[in-house]
Amino acid sequence: MTTTATTPAPVPVQDERPRVAEVLKQFAGRQYLLGVLVVLCVAVGLARPAFWGSGNLSNVLFQASFVGLAACGMTMLIASGLLDLSVGGTIAVASIAVAKVLPSTTIGAAVLLALVIGAVLGLVNGLLVTYVKIAPFIATLGTLYLFLGAAFIWTDGKVVPISSSNYRAFTTGELGPLPVPFVVFVVLAVVTYLVLQRTYFGRTLRAFGSNERAAVLAGLPVNRTKVAVFVVAGICFALSGVFMAGRLSSAEGNMAMGFEMDVIAAVVVGGTALRGGRGTAFGTVVGALLFAVLANALNLLGVASYWQYVLTGAVLVAAIAVGARRSSAAEVRGAG
Amino acid sequence: MPDATLAPGGTADLVADERARSAELARRADSRRQLLQNAGVAVPFLIVLVLGLTVVPHFASGSNITNMLVNAAILAIVGYGMTLVIAVRGIDLSVGSAQALAACVAASAVNSAGPLVGALVGIAVGAGLGLANGLVVTQLRVPGFIATLSTMSVFRGLVLLFTGGAPIMIASTSFKSVATASLLGIPVPFLVAVLLGAAAWFAFDRMRFGKHVVAVGGSPEAAVDTGISVNRVVLLSYLVSGAAAGIGGVLLASQLGVVNGSVAAGLELQAIAIVVLGGTSMAGGRPRVVGTFVAALLLSMINSGLNLLNVPSFYQYVALGALLVFALSIDGAQRAAVRRMLEGRLS
Repeated sequence: MTTTATTPAPVPVQDERPRVAEVLKQFAGRQYLLGVLVVLCVAVGLARPAFWGSGNLSNVLFQASFVGLAACGMTMLIASGLLDLSVGGTIAVASIAVAKVLPSTTIGAAVLLALVIGAVLGLVNGLLVTYVKIAPFIATLGTLYLFLGAAFIWTDGKVVPISSSNYRAFTTGELGPLPVPFVVFVVLAVVTYLVLQRTYFGRTLRAFGSNERAAVLAGLPVNRTKVAVFVVAGICFALSGVFMAGRLSSAEGNMAMGFEMDVIAAVVVGGTALRGGRGTAFGTVVGALLFAVLANALNLLGVASYWQYVLTGAVLVAAIAVGARRSSAAEVRGAG
Repeated sequence: MPDATLAPGGTADLVADERARSAELARRADSRRQLLQNAGVAVPFLIVLVLGLTVVPHFASGSNITNMLVNAAILAIVGYGMTLVIAVRGIDLSVGSAQALAACVAASAVNSAGPLVGALVGIAVGAGLGLANGLVVTQLRVPGFIATLSTMSVFRGLVLLFTGGAPIMIASTSFKSVATASLLGIPVPFLVAVLLGAAAWFAFDRMRFGKHVVAVGGSPEAAVDTGISVNRVVLLSYLVSGAAAGIGGVLLASQLGVVNGSVAAGLELQAIAIVVLGGTSMAGGRPRVVGTFVAALLLSMINSGLNLLNVPSFYQYVALGALLVFALSIDGAQRAAVRRMLEGRLS
């Protein structure tokens, strides 16, 4: 988008599918973010060599994958012009479900239950947004508190421990040099990319993300797809919760309080435009890594953890402001 | 409007007829909307009031009434600001964090410079934060909800940095007595809320600013064409919302006597809930201060009723979430009813 907008040359007629060259070109246009990430890593590494320690690196990857798994779902939502603020609630309920049933069932069944719960909570959000016609951010703000309330009631406000060592080994184990959640995150990001770019579902959601009325007039199943996006996103959030519970060896109501900020920030800083129509899974991966490295750097440098709130918010506003400025410039050029 | 150009002289009567008919429709749609808006808050208010009086023990005791009125007052004041912001199609999710920051700064200013200065500093901090929100929304062109979602996190971080995570005790008894004092049997914060409500009503209903708010909320593009400075109106709205959160924060500090960095968490949801429940449409252009005020009383009654019944505080989350979803459904139903009415007859 950026590269095509800055070159005034006539745009050649394209096939329906983006060509490999086109994809690579778009990819290169986003490299500045990867550059920022590399520079940040090098700078932190110089200031605190402990950054490159394998223990610390795997810590960063864990953090990035918790945010990233949820951010994959959020990427689809934002690409379709929607938003979900109930991430923290969904994660809490799904994790508590895992912790509650683990003593009596297998790991597979527990994870499956968590994913089903994520899907159901996503369905609730989707129905509220599409059929009750409540603006997404406010409907999900309401359900955030509903889900949190449900989580607190379910646990009586206590922490539910996970004693199964197999579960912990499964969720925090390493696959070669990489932690399992990170591998799952990368796989999920690839799947998200393919879904967004190569499937009917992805094309539909990008279509109504960029212009809902046009999509409706074109006869696309907008309402159905909207609900489906919320369900898929709910499953992604629950997956994040599954790994988070394993890492914490426990689950509780406020385990993911304020998590929605991190997730949205990772997606938006990654380059997915907030007004919908486009989503970049690769950008989301970089965005998630960027925030994980940033948080880790602040910890290593001994900065008060409260600064993370300030920094996340400020980076998010800055990213959107830059995006708004750039897209408005492109619009002006297109009109002139 | 394709009226005059498409209708040559002979059909002038037809056009006039059509005009009258659509005016009549609009009037009926409006009255139906009014009904839904008023019923949306009045019916739950009466139900909760009756339930509270009959089911909840000590509901009508003097101390509980005072408590409810003070809580409702703080909520309502924040709600007025939110009413204004929602009326210009914005939203302010940062009110809770702004209130916490204002309360903590006010508390430490009271300790170092006296009650009056402390209160003024608190309000000024709130206004400054609101101004920051407004600038981000109007100058950086970040959508309101995401801008204030970010500043919610920023302000919360700032207040935690300011307090270092420790509570701030307020030494001044005169400052603390403001929230507990009463004039003619009515708590002072409640009087403040009523006065501010009257001022807000006057500003929205009788002043040019109010007309501008309605114009901007109804259709920003049309407002621009009319020559209204939309940015200025939006900026002022966020500023007022921040200042209202600041006033609420000062009253909260006075009520609590001890403040820390995590007070007023989740306030944004309560504020949005009372505003929407009060009949201010999320679609913009319809500020309803009286509704906000009544809804603040309603929410305060619900909270206090649940407390008195010893319901675990977790259920209050659920009650609040359900209340918000209910209010938004009413808002949606009301818009749908009006649309059906207008479209069903005309197209």
